[in-house]
Amino acid sequence: MRLSGDNIKKLCGVRNLSLNALLKRAGVSKTAYYHLIDKESVLPRSIDALAAALDVRPFALLEEADRQSRRAIRILEATERIVARDPSMDRDNVRHTLLLLQEKPIERLRRSLLRARKPDL
Amino acid sequence: MPENLIFSKKEIAFLRELERQNVEFMLVGAAAAALQGAPVVTQDVDLWFEDLKDPGIQTALRKSGGIMVPSFGQNPPTFAGDAVKLFDIVLTMHGLESFAQEKKNSFTVRLGTVDVNVLNLDRIIASKEAIRRPKDLLVLPVLRDTLRTLSWKKMKDAAPKTLKGRKG
Repeated sequence: MRLSGDNIKKLCGVRNLSLNALLKRAGVSKTAYYHLIDKESVLPRSIDALAAALDVRPFALLEEADRQSRRAIRILEATERIVARDPSMDRDNVRHTLLLLQEKPIERLRRSLLRARKPDL
Repeated sequence: MPENLIFSKKEIAFLRELERQNVEFMLVGAAAAALQGAPVVTQDVDLWFEDLKDPGIQTALRKSGGIMVPSFGQNPPTFAGDAVKLFDIVLTMHGLESFAQEKKNSFTVRLGTVDVNVLNLDRIIASKEAIRRPKDLLVLPVLRDTLRTLSWKKMKDAAPKTLKGRKG
């Protein structure tokens, strides 16, 4: 499974980040990044071997992570659309609200109370 | 039970007994805003009672092991005891209509095994805009952004249904 430069650029775009800024924030050197981009597969050989033994693509073994990634992108894209309609809104407020709306009300309250009691969380 | 992660057994017993005694109350303040998706933190859960003299409150307190400390000086009445230490009493919601009127602007949420009324976010904002304490002014921008996000989401959630209907 290859690293997708397009997906990374897309994620950078919705966060208003340049690739350079992303690499700096992540502490990843340009050399390391382009090395990863050039690799046929960024997954450990054992994952590729497991997928081959199961006669599936490695993607099938990583479905959960992929689903989470797609969900995160959807939230970021929604955040961008909302803030674009009303630039006076705070991007973090919008994103956190959208994230909380994915939880049940009781879970939202639990987080609210828990974080007040443990602000370092 | 998820409710156990938030409320102690005694606190749940108190809420359940309020419900059983048909005491008119609703969740307001930051906890009510958090339930609706506002990314805010709160130390307590504000309960607005229609009538603090409702005997059902004393019954609920007695059954759950809490007490009500009457107001003195500038201090409003408060609850005391493990069963109720999470809850704050709200006597007046500044800038709003009567409890009965505002109940129309509330909705019911099931918290584990207890149904509670929760004041709508727009009314919580209206009250905070009226009272304008420093802590209210700090949280108001977050609450307004949450309300606008909820409006956007409501509009978006409604849109695909129309499209699906047209297709079908």
